[in-house]
Formats: sequence, structure tokens, C-alpha cells
Amino acid sequence: MTEAWWVSVIKAVVIVNVVLLTFAYMTLVERKVMGRMQLRYGPNRTGPFGLLQPIADLVKLLRKESFFPAASRDALYLAAPVISATTALAAFAVIPFGAGWTIFGQDVAGQIIDVPIALILLFALGSLGVYGFIIGGWASESKYALLGSMRTCAQLVSYEVSLALSVLGVVIMGQSLSLTEIVAKQDATIWFVVPQIVGLLTFFIAGTAETNRAPFDLPEAEQELVAGYHTEYGGMRFGLFQMAEYINLITLSALCVTLFFAGWHGPFLPGPIWFVLKLLAILFVFIWMRTTLPRLRYDQLMRFGWKVLLPIATVNAVATAFFVVLID
Amino acid sequence: MGNFLVWVVWLAAAFACLGSGVAVVSVTNPFYSALALIGNLGSLAVLFLLLSAEFVAAAQVLVYAGAVAVMFLFVIAYLGGQADAPWAGGSSWQRWAAVIAASALLLEIVMVIGLKAGGRLSDEADVRESFGSPAEIGRFFLTDQLLAFEITSIVLLVAAIGGVILGAHSRAGGVPREEGAGERTLPERAPSVPATSVGAGVPER
Repeated sequence: MTEAWWVSVIKAVVIVNVVLLTFAYMTLVERKVMGRMQLRYGPNRTGPFGLLQPIADLVKLLRKESFFPAASRDALYLAAPVISATTALAAFAVIPFGAGWTIFGQDVAGQIIDVPIALILLFALGSLGVYGFIIGGWASESKYALLGSMRTCAQLVSYEVSLALSVLGVVIMGQSLSLTEIVAKQDATIWFVVPQIVGLLTFFIAGTAETNRAPFDLPEAEQELVAGYHTEYGGMRFGLFQMAEYINLITLSALCVTLFFAGWHGPFLPGPIWFVLKLLAILFVFIWMRTTLPRLRYDQLMRFGWKVLLPIATVNAVATAFFVVLID
Repeated sequence: MGNFLVWVVWLAAAFACLGSGVAVVSVTNPFYSALALIGNLGSLAVLFLLLSAEFVAAAQVLVYAGAVAVMFLFVIAYLGGQADAPWAGGSSWQRWAAVIAASALLLEIVMVIGLKAGGRLSDEADVRESFGSPAEIGRFFLTDQLLAFEITSIVLLVAAIGGVILGAHSRAGGVPREEGAGERTLPERAPSVPATSVGAGVPER
């Protein structure tokens, strides 16, 4: 199936906007759910049920004064949030969300772009996103921002290893790095959540750390660091950093659905609906964890990453390889 | 049209590669130097893409631009990243070695261009469907290139052991222990806080 280039462009524009909308309403859902779990109402004043809250937030961020520290390095300071947001948005391009359709005689594939090395591309984009955080923290010329970005950097680099190793089992079972092929393989055999439950758990934990979510949100531990690497950012620049974090979370959840829960496959309902339902379920678990678990200490985080998670992920990958060869 | 696009991308990537390479050694602030290095690695990845080696390009970004260069930035940012005096050139043997290496490279480039012009370079590259795929690269690692692959792993092992030894050394020698530090008597516990001061008088729910 080949699709015309302009179909891809239209699809990319639509997907980017859908992802941005998901991000906006994710913030609302998070506040609502957290409020309910803490016996509060959450935002409920802006529009019916507080549904216009994200738009009000956006207007507020846009209208704020764009200050920046006098000592900051201007070009890098301005580029940092853009780098983070761009790489976060670009990563979603390879996630498959449907079987592909023929609309008005035009072939439309079920993802923006299908590359044979989609998984590696995703990790490569993720590793570039780190630069936004570290450059932003350094260019702010502020101690809090620098320490926060150092923490972010150390944490992301440490947990990236475990994250990559945790999906290795899926790659070995799917015998491909292409996400569409991994999804097809799961539909033909079994959802990889069953044989790869250890892989899923390590992926989930490492992913939580990778997206700076509680209980691993040390880079933003407000008691210690004010706000981490974006301390000196305000207005929509801060908004872009926030956007990058949430979109990374959405992409990671989408990757989790794709790798372990057979992506868009499911009975009765059409593919994209299944995909969204699974995605929302995973996002809900992330919010749930945020309200439930207290933040770890920094040394605990590092020790856990290197001495617990990494060995488990390695053993899982080796064991998977062993069993796959045995069955063959 | 497609060929023209390839030329444009190649030119842009090649000049970005050269420019960032020059910037790495000529910029005074080490932080910008490291950033230029990242740009250099990134434009190399684009050149790999043009050679239809997608996997190598992605691995280049993931490993070098994504992981190794982050470590450089990390260390430089910790050390302050202040502007340094411009590099005044190394010792004389370094200069001579640099000149020799550069002329060897230049000679190689001239020879390749000459061979290409004379039509004496080997045949056109045979780029098939499986070219540069992860499976193909994995097969090469375990068959034709096994020796190179294993030697690389030994080099990495040596580097890892070196890192451990350096780390252990600095930890042992970094903080000198005081004589009799273990015998110093510590107060049994912190100055006591009146146990009733917090929450006293609040009725149980």
C-alpha cells in the first residue's frame, strides 16, 4: 500500500493536533482524577464541568510576560523548550493506530510513517529530547535550574538503558523492530503482555522515570529544587516544557499499548477506538500512581535503577532469547 | 527531482559536518564545543541516511548524539562551562602528527576522486531491499566481521575496567580519614523535642 505524499502531510497535521488536544485534556483529567482521589472536586468553574480549563490555562500562559534572566544565554535559552517539544511531537509519528484504510480512492496507512526501525527511531528521538532539558537548565544560569537539569539528565540516561533492555524481549519475540510487524505478530499469536509480563513491569517503571512522573519526579522536587530545570522559564516557554513532558508520557503509553497490548487490535470496535481506549487506561494508571506513591529519595532512585531494574531487564531479555531459541 | 533533492541534502549535511567540526576545536566555551560535536554527529547521521543505511543513522543518533554526547554536556555543565582561553596548539609532535594525518586524508580524498573520474572505482553499490537492515547487520557482526566486533568489545571492556579503577582510586584517596574518627563519641540522640508539642490537644476523630 502506498499513499500519496499529501495524504501523509494531512495525516501528520491531524495527528499532531489530536496529540496536542490529548495533552491539553490530559492535564484536566489529571487534575480532576487527582482531586477526586484526594476528596476534592478539581477544576470545575471554567465551562461545564471545568471543560474549558485547558483553554483558559493556554490563554493565561500565552498572555504572561515573557521574562528571562539577565544572565541567561539567549539563543540556547530560547531553543531549549523548542527542542524538547519538537522531539516529543515527532516521536508519535511511528506509532500505528489502525489497519489502514482506503478513503475516496486514496490509500491511508494506519500510522504517519512506517519505518522498519521504528523502535530505534523512537528511542533516538527520546535521547535527543534530553538536550532540551540539559540546555535549558544550563542556559538559565541559575543554580536551581542547573541542579534540576543535572538530575533530569542523570535520571534519563540511567533509566534509558533499562527501558531499552525491557523492550528487547518484545523485539526478540516479534523478531522485528517495526512496530506494525510487532502488532501484527501479537494479533497472530498472543498479546505480549502474557509472556513478557516482567518486561512490561520494567518498561512501566523505567518509563515512569523516563517521563519524570511521580514517584520519580525528582528533577522537579519542589522542596529541594523549586521546579527543576524549568525554574527560570515562564509563560508559554514553560508551557512548551510542560507540553513536552506530557507528550512524552502519551507517546510512552502509546508505545506500551503497541508493544504489550497488541496496539489497535481488539474485537467488535474499530482499530483506532481500541487504541484510544487502551491508551486512556494506561494514562489513568500513570495518574493513579502519581496520587498514590510518595517521591523516592535521589540515591534510592539511582540505586534502584542500576542495581534492581537493570539486572531484571537484562535477565528478562536473556531468558526470552533462550526460550525463543528453545521453542524454535 | 529526487536526485536534485539528494544533492541539496548532501551539500547541507556535508557543510554542517565540516562547519561543526571546525567549531568543536575553535569555540572557546567548552559547552558550545560539545554542542557543535552533537551537531557534527547529527549531520553524520544524515550522511548515513543518504547512503541508505537507516539503521546506522538511527544508531548513530541514539548512541553518539544521544548518550555519549549527553555525558560530555553533563560533565561540562557541572564544571561550570565557563569560557576558556583559546587553544594555543599542543606540543610540537602533536602538530606534526596532525599535519601528517591531515595530508594522509587529503591524499586519500584526491586518490578516490581521481579513481572515480577515471572510471576505475569498483562497480556501483549493490543496494538491495535487505541492505542496511538490522537483520543483515546482525548477520555481518556474527559472520564476516566477527573479529572486528570482538576486538571492539575487548576495547570497551578495557575502558570499563579503567573507569572502575579510576573511580575506586579517587574514592580511596579523595577523602582522607581522620585518626580515630570512629572513636569520636556522638551524642546519643538529637536534642530532644518535647514529645507533646505537635498535635497536642487536638481531639481524635
